[in-house]
Amino acid sequence: MEEKNLTQQESLELISKMIKETRTNMERDGGGIYLLWGYVWLIVAAAVYLLTLKTGDYRVQWLWFAIPLVGYPGMFILLRKREKRAITFVGRVIGSVWITIGIAAGLLSLYMLVNHLAFPILFVMALLINIGVAISGLVIRFTPITIAGFIGILLSFVLLMVPGIHQIAVFGAFSIIMLIIPGHILAAAGQRIKKAGNHV
Amino acid sequence: MFKELDPLLHSQLRLAVISLLVSLEEADFVFLREKTNSTAGNLSVQLDKLGEAGYIEIEKGYSGKRPRTTCHITEHGRQAFENYVEALKTYFTP
Repeated sequence: MEEKNLTQQESLELISKMIKETRTNMERDGGGIYLLWGYVWLIVAAAVYLLTLKTGDYRVQWLWFAIPLVGYPGMFILLRKREKRAITFVGRVIGSVWITIGIAAGLLSLYMLVNHLAFPILFVMALLINIGVAISGLVIRFTPITIAGFIGILLSFVLLMVPGIHQIAVFGAFSIIMLIIPGHILAAAGQRIKKAGNHV
Repeated sequence: MFKELDPLLHSQLRLAVISLLVSLEEADFVFLREKTNSTAGNLSVQLDKLGEAGYIEIEKGYSGKRPRTTCHITEHGRQAFENYVEALKTYFTP
């Protein structure tokens, strides 16, 4: 494209063409981050559950902090690797939602150090993350993610009914529904979009 | 009555750039070059013209160790684009 004078018709066609070029669905290329958090969550929850069952030592609960200690640096590495050449409004909204949820989840976890009985932390965390998943699915208009989010919101209430340490096993299993399955679906969608040249 | 078209926007590459940026929060140089299929040198010149007119803001930074230039449309640029489109309509209205 060079510095060429256009007719009015050509101007209109060019505007239309360029606006279409910005309608990418690269926001759907977030599968890696879902998978990172999903698998870290699953592994840590499994470890906490099994070690607590085996040892009965509640100091094992400190292992929960492995989730943010592994998850946040891993996420920053993934984000840096992903070349963000253009930011859409949708992309900014999704980013803002997860930053907010991340901060809230972090603060909730820290408050556990002050009073670990203050609120049902597993239920609150599951609800918070599923709200994020549902909003993300709605904003990017990707039905599998939206469904995963709302199913997760419903299933979060199961954590209020499951007694004692078995909540941890249920919480760990939720990572499969809330993050791992949606993550694989998103990753597959991202690959299809890349092959199609960033358009759907 | 035909309205005058903004000469700064009534040019293929500059209009393409503004049309892209009006739909995005920001875009980098590589993205703009790929979407407009232009040469780096020409794009750079046109971006400077749009920047001098206050239609876009250009930020030069780094992505790791690589230099990275990003652009976003300003409110003035958005208004100029809207005015351009309104003026274009006068050529098509019977």
